[in-house]
Amino acid sequence: MKIVDYLQSCEEIISPGISACIGCNVELTLRTVMRVLGSNTIFAVPPGCMGGVGVVGWNKKSGAKAPVFFPLLDNVASMLSGVKAHYQRQGTAVNVVAFAGDGATVDAGFQCLSGACERGDNIIYICYDNEGYMNTGYQRSGSTSKGSWTSTTPVSADGKGGKKQHKKNFPLLMAMHDIPYVATMSPAYIQDMVQKVKKAMAVKEGLSYLHILNPCLTGWGIKTEKSIEACRLAVETRYFPLFEMENNKFTLSRKISKPKPLEAFLRLSKKFSHLSSAEIQDLKDNVNLNWERLQALCSA
Amino acid sequence: MSRIDVLNGNKAAAWGAALSRPDVIAAYPITPQTPLVEYLTQFVADKELDCVMSEVESEHSAMSVLTGASLAGSRTFTATSSQGLALMYEPYFRAATLRLPVVMAIVNREMISPQTVWGGPQDSLTLRDAGWIQIYCEDNQEILDMIIQAYKIGEDPRVLLPVNICYDGFYLSHLSERVEIPPAKLVDNFLPPYQPKHIKLDPQKPMAVDPLTTGDLLMDYRQKHLRAQQNALEVLKEVTIAFQQQFGRDYFGAVEEYRLEDAEIVLVSLGSMTGAIRDAVDLKREQGVKVGLLKIRLLRPFPLLDVQKALGNKKIVGVIDRNVSFGHNSGILYQEIRGALFGLAKPPNVKPFIGGLGGEDLRVDDFGKVIDQLKDNIDGMPVPYWILRKKR
Repeated sequence: MKIVDYLQSCEEIISPGISACIGCNVELTLRTVMRVLGSNTIFAVPPGCMGGVGVVGWNKKSGAKAPVFFPLLDNVASMLSGVKAHYQRQGTAVNVVAFAGDGATVDAGFQCLSGACERGDNIIYICYDNEGYMNTGYQRSGSTSKGSWTSTTPVSADGKGGKKQHKKNFPLLMAMHDIPYVATMSPAYIQDMVQKVKKAMAVKEGLSYLHILNPCLTGWGIKTEKSIEACRLAVETRYFPLFEMENNKFTLSRKISKPKPLEAFLRLSKKFSHLSSAEIQDLKDNVNLNWERLQALCSA
Repeated sequence: MSRIDVLNGNKAAAWGAALSRPDVIAAYPITPQTPLVEYLTQFVADKELDCVMSEVESEHSAMSVLTGASLAGSRTFTATSSQGLALMYEPYFRAATLRLPVVMAIVNREMISPQTVWGGPQDSLTLRDAGWIQIYCEDNQEILDMIIQAYKIGEDPRVLLPVNICYDGFYLSHLSERVEIPPAKLVDNFLPPYQPKHIKLDPQKPMAVDPLTTGDLLMDYRQKHLRAQQNALEVLKEVTIAFQQQFGRDYFGAVEEYRLEDAEIVLVSLGSMTGAIRDAVDLKREQGVKVGLLKIRLLRPFPLLDVQKALGNKKIVGVIDRNVSFGHNSGILYQEIRGALFGLAKPPNVKPFIGGLGGEDLRVDDFGKVIDQLKDNIDGMPVPYWILRKKR
């Protein structure tokens, strides 16, 4: 079955009326993963874009056909651990899922996520990484790339500034918890995404972690029609490698033997427009470092 | 048949929790609560207790795991102290506003700074307005009995609120006393399983929990929460009577009066200090002083009418606080008592006493001096009056 037909055959869980920005690839991601997960799912959407656009709902109306709730920004994983504990005790199989931004995941919520990994709680944790706090106008996060303009790492009138530190390599950080399944995904590779969500659902012991790079059109300054192109170029330039770790075995999902120049990805986003050639080289070095590290893990 | 044992307060709490058959426990150790977590994990290891034990990485996660479990329909239990409660504040407030009948023992410990680990209810009293029911215990039997009653009160459809059972660190948590452990069957009869009807995360019946909510609707939720707190006053009375009928121990409701009938001077107490005040009252009574005691058991909801009835016609009231209310130059309980008596035709003269902070002892002779001060020189007493043993 073609992927389009498969997705068409799945029930749409997310309400048609949610109010994400035009061209938002997070909304596409959410709709896709929720179609795969299906209605036997309880999911948490913490404060962030998808909470803000109404996935949990507005007043007494729900934004989803499956049970959904707002956890706190910093307790997504532990609230889900509690939900799962209840259903495991009942002997009832149900997908217990987080759909959380990078702020809730790599910053404020990291402690409890790490705890849930270590305890082996059986939840599916999906992080949509748009490299910052986008719902409140793009403030920096620990997942913001170096050099990025954000509203809290501004650029001066003469073009100097941006974030001073590289982003956390969070998927690898999660892999080092020795959880059963870690994967990175991109809205430009839907078939890959669907397969990885299904693998995460098949995990019955321990936590599975899915990390998606979602370039944010309004925050990063990307033209609406370039939404998916930006996602794809992030992969093709090795800026965001697609890989998975299944039972401690690392595999590249896309080999990218001839990467496109990083500039092709950077130039789509206004947030990188002030970067000097030295700053771009610094980003390239970091991309290479992370790629080589991943290669080493894949060939181990 | 009840089993008689010698238990410290933490073990009494562990028995209270185990007999209540929680589905999920999540707890993070902190002095002086730590032995309670150890007892519970041992109960589970020995199969005396059948529940999910989540060994969380922080108190914030302890309350968060319970919030999730309770939302899914589980009966839940945890315990903490001072800094752990402070770290837990975010999900703590939310468990109440989500109307989840979580039960948590608070083994009261002073708040830092300076660094301290000893007893005092500054931790839980500071959070009295976070929407929970708060009950304070005098001895270890009361701890065990009140944890069972806490579920009965919190899960009542008229209430649906989380409940704290508070007891002083070390003075009760590490003090061994005679305690009756009631038979499990009797507790099962008293406390049927938790069946949530108001809120539940269930794929068979999808529900959005906490969508973004505007002020008009939020005020509706707050009104209902305030009403539930008031309902708890009545429910606690019913539960007190039902418990007394089935288990034979009477806790008198929200407050307990001791030698109050003809008293002119009354001391107001909270927690483990109450025993020493009872003795001080008895000694002064032998000397002909008309003195009595009002023990506050229920702090939230505050038993306004009970306090007015007990103290409204008295001349002098001394409130003993093992805590402070920064900005008020007194303790927190004093504020509560003053508030309850305000506006009465002839309110008593109410004076604030502060002592026992950071686990300092409060002895019978300390309370003797408090009574003397109130009797002989009420106009000349410093406000607040600090109960100090060493001159500084």
